[in-house]
Amino acid sequence: MPIIIISSDAREIEETIAEKVVEAMDYSRLGDQILADVAAKYQIDPGQLNEAMETIPSLFKKLSARQWRYYLACVEAEVLDRLMADNIVCWGLAAHLYVTGISHVMKVRVLSGNSRGAMEIVEQKGLSLEEVQKRRTGELQQRKKWSLAAYNYDETDLSRYDLVINLDQIDPAEAVKTITGAMEYRKFQVMTYSMKCLSNLALAAKVNGALLKSMADINVQARDGSVVVSTKASARQKRKKIATIKELAGNVEGVSYVEVHVKKHILEKTA
Amino acid sequence: MTKSLEVLLLDDEPIVGRRLKPALDKIGCRVEVFENPKEAVARIDQKEFDIVVTDIRMEEMDGIQVLEHVQKKWPRTKVIIITGYAKMDLAREAMGKGVFDFIAKPFRPDDLRRIIANAAEALGAPIDFSSINDEPVE
Repeated sequence: MPIIIISSDAREIEETIAEKVVEAMDYSRLGDQILADVAAKYQIDPGQLNEAMETIPSLFKKLSARQWRYYLACVEAEVLDRLMADNIVCWGLAAHLYVTGISHVMKVRVLSGNSRGAMEIVEQKGLSLEEVQKRRTGELQQRKKWSLAAYNYDETDLSRYDLVINLDQIDPAEAVKTITGAMEYRKFQVMTYSMKCLSNLALAAKVNGALLKSMADINVQARDGSVVVSTKASARQKRKKIATIKELAGNVEGVSYVEVHVKKHILEKTA
Repeated sequence: MTKSLEVLLLDDEPIVGRRLKPALDKIGCRVEVFENPKEAVARIDQKEFDIVVTDIRMEEMDGIQVLEHVQKKWPRTKVIIITGYAKMDLAREAMGKGVFDFIAKPFRPDDLRRIIANAAEALGAPIDFSSINDEPVE
């Protein structure tokens, strides 16, 4: 029942290695093809959803910060819900940034390097390694910015991963064997505690998505159906905001109790 | 009639044993409760239990040491860890060392019964239990 989340500094490499792991382990795939389902389920424009996964909001873009957060929350809720199933390889959905603290999730980072193996993969995709390398530096900076803005987590920080594979040193076929071999470690096996952590995370993400549709500044923690929502509001709005949160969160399937903690808005504090 | 599952339950908080023993008795387990890890280990030296349920943070000896002791003495015995200090690293360490399952407190006795049932099945001695709603174990 373990989960493997694969990310790389080159998208083509990430996808190819993930597909090969799926094949080798006969696991299910969870990749960016689900973005179309997310867009349909939450009635979001698919183009805007894809944009939200790639860029951060700015004054020059149509996407507002609030919309951006909501779109990411929808993806997160859907991914976590699907991760409750068994034996999955996940990539291309930034799951390595928000699926945290789950012991049966192995996070793998594949560094594309300049090797023949990496070259073969990108050539199969109709690209040249030079092209990919040129793009990679800019993309890495962009991904670093995006991951910090979205989840306060630098995805280029390799200490965050369980396994880092450099294709300069390890051939892609060996990389796949290394990943599948590492999944045999007992440390990554499912246990009652890790499943509970995952279901708590999934419930928190669902509630977060339900709330971010109509409000901002939300933090949600869940445990066994009990949900604690932290937010900010002015003294005047406080009561109404608590009632709205309790109603919206209470309507989410699996929620049995809602507690709301409200901090004063910073402007009100300084007034 | 099938043989009862022999269970050793070790937690330095007396309330845990008081709550869990009757819950496990209900599914036909024969439970011996200990609050002192050294006394529990001495009993493990004398008797092969099917299942050992142990807390992790205790004075004198921690749950991982108990696990290692059980594994050396009785490799067939399944060890289940219960803890109020659950963290991913600790869970992975315990799993890596061969624990059967790991559960964070508070939990409902039914959660433990379910794990016991899985362990019994893994031991080739399946038990059947009906779900009973109980108060959580802190």
